[in-house]
Amino acid sequence: MLVCYSKIMNYKKIKNWQKLPELKKLKDLSSPPKELFFLGKWDPKIFKSSVAVVGSRKMTDYGRRVIEKIIPKLVFEKKTIVSGFMTGVDQAAHLNCVESGGKTIAVLGWGINYKLERADLKLAERIIESGGLIISEWENQKPTLWTFPYRNRIVAALSSEVIIIEAAIKSGSLITARFAEKLKRKVWAVPGPITSRTSMGTNSLIANQKAQMWIDIPPQPEITISGDPLLTLIQNEPLTTNEISRNLKLSVSQVGAQLSLLTLQGILIEREGKYYLNDAG
Amino acid sequence: MLVKICSIANIGLETVLVDVEVDVAASGFPGFTIVGLASQAVEEARERVKTAIVNSDFEFPNKKITVNLAPADLPKDGSAYDLPIAVGILIASNQIPPLSDLENSFFYGELSLDGTLRATRGILLLGLFAQKKANTSIFVPFPSAREASVISEIKVYAIKSLNQLADHLSGIKIINPLKHIEIEEEIEETEVEFDLMEVAGQEQAKRALIIAAAGGHNLLMYGPPGTGKTMLARAMPGILPPLTPNEALEVTRVYSISGLLSSGQSLLKRRPFRSPHHGVSAAGLIGGGSNPLPGEVSLAHLGVLFLDEMPEFPRGVLESLRQPMEDGVIEIVRAAGHVKYPASFTLIAAINPCPCGYLGHPKRECKCNERQIAKYRHRISGPILDRIDLFVSVSAIDVEKLSLNTPMEVGRISSKKAKELVLKARGIQAKRFSDLKIYTNSQMRNKEVKNFCLLTSEAENILKLAAEKYDFSARSYYRLIKTARTIADLESSEKIIPAHMAEALQYKQTI
Repeated sequence: MLVCYSKIMNYKKIKNWQKLPELKKLKDLSSPPKELFFLGKWDPKIFKSSVAVVGSRKMTDYGRRVIEKIIPKLVFEKKTIVSGFMTGVDQAAHLNCVESGGKTIAVLGWGINYKLERADLKLAERIIESGGLIISEWENQKPTLWTFPYRNRIVAALSSEVIIIEAAIKSGSLITARFAEKLKRKVWAVPGPITSRTSMGTNSLIANQKAQMWIDIPPQPEITISGDPLLTLIQNEPLTTNEISRNLKLSVSQVGAQLSLLTLQGILIEREGKYYLNDAG
Repeated sequence: MLVKICSIANIGLETVLVDVEVDVAASGFPGFTIVGLASQAVEEARERVKTAIVNSDFEFPNKKITVNLAPADLPKDGSAYDLPIAVGILIASNQIPPLSDLENSFFYGELSLDGTLRATRGILLLGLFAQKKANTSIFVPFPSAREASVISEIKVYAIKSLNQLADHLSGIKIINPLKHIEIEEEIEETEVEFDLMEVAGQEQAKRALIIAAAGGHNLLMYGPPGTGKTMLARAMPGILPPLTPNEALEVTRVYSISGLLSSGQSLLKRRPFRSPHHGVSAAGLIGGGSNPLPGEVSLAHLGVLFLDEMPEFPRGVLESLRQPMEDGVIEIVRAAGHVKYPASFTLIAAINPCPCGYLGHPKRECKCNERQIAKYRHRISGPILDRIDLFVSVSAIDVEKLSLNTPMEVGRISSKKAKELVLKARGIQAKRFSDLKIYTNSQMRNKEVKNFCLLTSEAENILKLAAEKYDFSARSYYRLIKTARTIADLESSEKIIPAHMAEALQYKQTI
């Protein structure tokens, strides 16, 4: 791993980024970065069509499910995922993109030479190995309160669309949304439950017409639910084993056995004790 | 005159004979010396014995008194040599007549200054030791004497005071030995502290509890606070089978040596349920001290060790559980020596899903970030998790569902009913392992798993599929088969059919 790190973790400076055609979008900014540094293999094609996916650091399970739904689709459409490399939605978006075989750009909220923590380092390596980029406008800047919202302008500028997944009312993602609006990028927000604090920001963006509501009109489900009452039940709402047993009036051991089998067959997914239909199925 | 009194020393649960030799010399400078690697507590016996003899209206001989505790190279601790020393002095100074069968009589107990005898630890072990010799009598303090009354073929004399003993030995007023008690009579049905009926919902957790009780599997419950994890754990003793006579004796030995039996108690009547707080030290959990005493794992022997809020336990303390969880015994090594205590327990652990406790809660929001959650879960190491057979989620339930009159559960089960299921499954296991030294499915080694766990080919297919999908380690592979075996036993099925294997998969390791 370490050998690998030293080989690919040598950052480089982009000379005269203003002259590169692929970075033209950055010039839309009123305060474009002075310099740009990057890690990874520079490939102009990566900037061709990119979407920013940003959101809360405190991602809930709902946020994770949204990411797992949206990102593979975007990757399939050959979009590059741009995000801010923070814990929560950002990193989950990077990771899911890498896992789905896509390319992703991480814009750091600190200097490129700043030492990463172990878990972050692993993700950074995966991003680079998969042909993605890690960029920053600073060389040795430490992460502080102002650096994070400041780099959001680059995230917004690099992409043609911005999707916000889960943001609290005072979230950095809303700053990204404001930049995106100024830059005339298309802003999407994923609606969430009105009881969840981490969805208040996104919901208010939609309510104030600052963002378009991202909803996914599902194609007719491909799995034929062959009258199995268990699947019909889960189709409406993810449930725990206990709830399913109560609804179907079957013992937990029977229901449990059925659920295990359906999960093994890939028809269901289990997460944090709840069962979902596997849409990717 | 020289007198030799028989007594014992307990090193861990091992008992050795100690001769208390008392010499009251005809000539020499008056004094009172104890030799034979006596600890401070034994040294202080001089003051207790002297005062007790005087306060019992005897004369303390104004001569040179030497007490030797033989074998002289074995360190001796505790206050239990008060009685043999006092009796020795009284006989050697001709104040009471020598017993005819002195070599078959054991004396053991602590004296108080007024000559009465106080409760003393380890009386049961003395009884078991005395049983090995024919026609023995033991003279022990009244408050602890009942411990030995369950042992056959020995005479147990419960002594209240030095005077009473002197009267008995001189034949003035004979004490009758304690009546022998059959162990079976003493064992009680466990009172149910919490009935499974009292816990609303959580059907799957209840099922896991029954499987754990039936097969002796370790169980981990995870879920937000206030969902019934602790209540479920406390319901566990109520569904475990009662102790067998041999088991009762085995556990009581540990309690006897720890001095945890109350005055007048004969045996531990119920399976132990220990729930140490997470502030416990490693020595407190596994045992320790310079003369090592049993810790919580040994006190939970043949019962339940419940660790609430498991990640809050210091990591080093948790890691010390590895050996007892694997071997069922704990070996404690100290400078003073090396002792072995039994520690075959069922572990029930309860953990929150994250530090704040509300991850995955339907209404409340979790305040932890991913890193905190990962850190919290990493506090329990892989090897410990690897030794836990069942993992079950205890999720939050809506308050309205708690209301007692909504019929919500399918086949809501009472502790009584659950116990019947468990007893049946244990019966099958007892038959299966009759030639082996194990009692439950969880104790099976890989060899036994291969011999006793007959999988149908469909069940095997499921297992293979699962192993591929979830990337099982060899240990978790066998663990699943063992769990499936218990589920099959609960249904009195000889073979493990797909339904059993699939249900076992519900309890696979998830954290």
